[in-house]
Amino acid sequence: MKNLFRALLAVAVAALIVLPSCAQPQSETQTSKEIIFSWSEDIGPLNPHLYNPSQMFAQDLVYESLVNYGRGGEILPGLAEQWEVSSDGKLMTFQLRQGVQFSDGTPFNAAAAKANLEQVLDNRDEHEWLGLIQEMDRVEAEGESTLKIYLKNAYYPALQELTLIRPVRFLSPKAFPDSGTTAEGIKAPIGTGPWVLADYSKDSLAVFKRNENYWGNPPEAEQVTVRIIPDGETRALAFENGEIDLIYGSGLISLDAFKRLQDSGEYEAEVSPPLNTRAIALNSSRGATQDLQVRQAIQHAFNKSAVIQAVFYNTEPQADTYFSNEVPYADIGLQPYAYDVDRANSLLDEAGWQRQGQGTRQKDGQPLTVELSFNATNNADKAVAEALQADLRVVGIDLRLLGEEEQSWLDRQTSGEFHLIFNDTWGPPYEPQAMMSSMRAPAHADYEAQSGLPMKAEIDRKIGEVLVSTDETTRRQLYEEVLTTLHEQAVYLPISYSTNIAVFHKNLSGFEFMPQANQVPLSKLDKA
Amino acid sequence: MQHYIVRRILQLIPVLLGISLITFLLIQLMPSDPAIVVLRVNQVPVTEAAIAAMRERLGLNRPLPIQYFDWLWHVLHLDFGNSYVTGEPVLQEVLHYAPVTLKLTCFTAILILLIALPAGILAALYKNSMFDQMSRMFAYTGTAIPSFWLGFLLIYLFSLKLKLFPVMGSGTLAHFVLPAITLAWGPAAICTRLLRSSMLDSLSQNYVLYARARGVFERMVIGQHVFKNALLPVVTFFGLSFAHLLSGAVIVENVFALPGVGRFMVKAILSRDYPVIQCFVCLSAFLFVSVNLIVDLVYGYLDPRIRLGGVNESAH
Repeated sequence: MKNLFRALLAVAVAALIVLPSCAQPQSETQTSKEIIFSWSEDIGPLNPHLYNPSQMFAQDLVYESLVNYGRGGEILPGLAEQWEVSSDGKLMTFQLRQGVQFSDGTPFNAAAAKANLEQVLDNRDEHEWLGLIQEMDRVEAEGESTLKIYLKNAYYPALQELTLIRPVRFLSPKAFPDSGTTAEGIKAPIGTGPWVLADYSKDSLAVFKRNENYWGNPPEAEQVTVRIIPDGETRALAFENGEIDLIYGSGLISLDAFKRLQDSGEYEAEVSPPLNTRAIALNSSRGATQDLQVRQAIQHAFNKSAVIQAVFYNTEPQADTYFSNEVPYADIGLQPYAYDVDRANSLLDEAGWQRQGQGTRQKDGQPLTVELSFNATNNADKAVAEALQADLRVVGIDLRLLGEEEQSWLDRQTSGEFHLIFNDTWGPPYEPQAMMSSMRAPAHADYEAQSGLPMKAEIDRKIGEVLVSTDETTRRQLYEEVLTTLHEQAVYLPISYSTNIAVFHKNLSGFEFMPQANQVPLSKLDKA
Repeated sequence: MQHYIVRRILQLIPVLLGISLITFLLIQLMPSDPAIVVLRVNQVPVTEAAIAAMRERLGLNRPLPIQYFDWLWHVLHLDFGNSYVTGEPVLQEVLHYAPVTLKLTCFTAILILLIALPAGILAALYKNSMFDQMSRMFAYTGTAIPSFWLGFLLIYLFSLKLKLFPVMGSGTLAHFVLPAITLAWGPAAICTRLLRSSMLDSLSQNYVLYARARGVFERMVIGQHVFKNALLPVVTFFGLSFAHLLSGAVIVENVFALPGVGRFMVKAILSRDYPVIQCFVCLSAFLFVSVNLIVDLVYGYLDPRIRLGGVNESAH
């Protein structure tokens, strides 16, 4: 007994001495030119030709595209200095930048570019959603720096889709796997970009060092450390404690935390221009939402501005159309569905949904009950769902909320087993062409939601036409027709245009929002 | 004693086989088709043909018993297959996360003992004293405070205000202090109360009265007769807490951004990464069973009546 107490006492004393001394001053671990960023998920294997679990912002640090996406959809030079599209739209000729090297010293030339494109083309199935890959016929290299891409048909968004973070970016041929294609894995993430992955511990951190042989303007900072922090509140606390320099993205911290940091006045806090659209798809082929008037009534009954104020603290502008006016070809003056409870009630009355007192409307003995499916871990969607439920109850629609884990929710998007479901658009540079293209593919919520429309076949035909159109006027015309039909058929309930938020310490300079939603401006930042 | 240990280990075999069977069948009952999961993870369009090909590749078309024995055979060779998400061998992935969880568990366990043993003994010896009341208070708060909240409170106080420890990360010893306190708080409180009440039980036993009547030093009475006997329920609880901690502490790992097995596991469940889930369920079942075995052996050491069991009872 005595010995036990002595032992315990000894351990306690030891702990008292040792533990405080292992708390080091935090400033010591940071070099002056290191920027510490945090992300909620591991950065993944960083295979440029594949998708999840690799994180897009990290792929964008290491790999580059032939052409870059500027604000508003402008195409800017990247690894290609010049390009030319033939008059029939079927041949694209790129003049590659000379003297560019991968970070392992391998030269980036036409042969390396061709090898990468062929790896992607060998796995066409994985890129079915992307029109460019489906339309690509073959690739040829001419000399050191001329790359020719032959298409099966004219495909006007080809250049836009070459700006995407994945899958058309370039890996050093030395990092290709010994057998098989890059779809099975890569040896190491070696690109031409401004950053090189230097250290990595899964689910904990990733360190990117500046690429000293970068062809363009090198980043100001020497090193970027990405710390993986799954919890938003922890991220905010770590930021306040000076352990993180920058928070950037969407949903990385709660809007409550954002507001608190913003109001404190001690940090820079900014909201980006609108990116993609938060929306709910209404299924035109199932249950009561088959009825156009019910879909229109839901549009009129939803008080969006109240939700944007209460849930989003006015950080997001209200959305009245599925694509914002900033999206190419989408500024066509559609008439918004105004918040109008009386109009909603009269639409439902006309459709034959009768109401006794304040209860749920009925038609032929069937109650007007619809389900809204959402990802239960997405707090913003949940809050929007609850507000919508209350608004619809006012007009006699019983909205059942169906919160499930992410996979089940995705299952429903794919299978079409929903009445209403959260379905955000993809943001630049996917809008409108890639997003519209996917509307034709079953296994997308967009397709399922539209599948009950009498003119669905025509919509699909027009989308197919617009993508291979070579004439600007026809293209504009077709987009206008499709977008107008979808708006009038009320298959989407747009809520708001979501934004990226940024919070950073005042010693960071050079900050600006990036044109693509999934890029982080780490190359531009400098730290005083 | 040896006989007892061998008997207990032999008893484990049917238990582990049962666990493996249930683990295997559980996956069969899960809602999403594994073939569809793999296709979706790899961004391959989910078509009938693609599903059929993937089912063939994953061997899902074979009869269930064959699938089971094939899986079991590989598991016995510590091959749990490859993760659907990353394509890496599952065991290797789990081992990447194990060190953090192991460290966290050990720190927490030491902390539980450091707090609970002295506090429990003192609370029993000085029953209804000021100290006893305080330990009661500690027990109530310990069981009532949710760990994520306690975690944030500790971060706020020790990291943000006092600047003693970093908010998150897993590099140095300092990173484990706050998470270990958070995790130890609840179990330590329960342990303290358990020890106190079983000490009080023992104190009122006849053998304590006799020992005192024989004039044995009070220190000997408490140490040899009371404490050793009172430890039994504490050992059980401690063992289970230990196994529980080893199988991951999701919430605390999330709050302190520690890359431990709990977080890895939850991610696997959410993305329906079946091989990882199977491996994890098997390993944690194995952990619980082994810890139980150790607890039983400690029981045998502490209380000879248990290890002698029914076997020698008749000889008395």
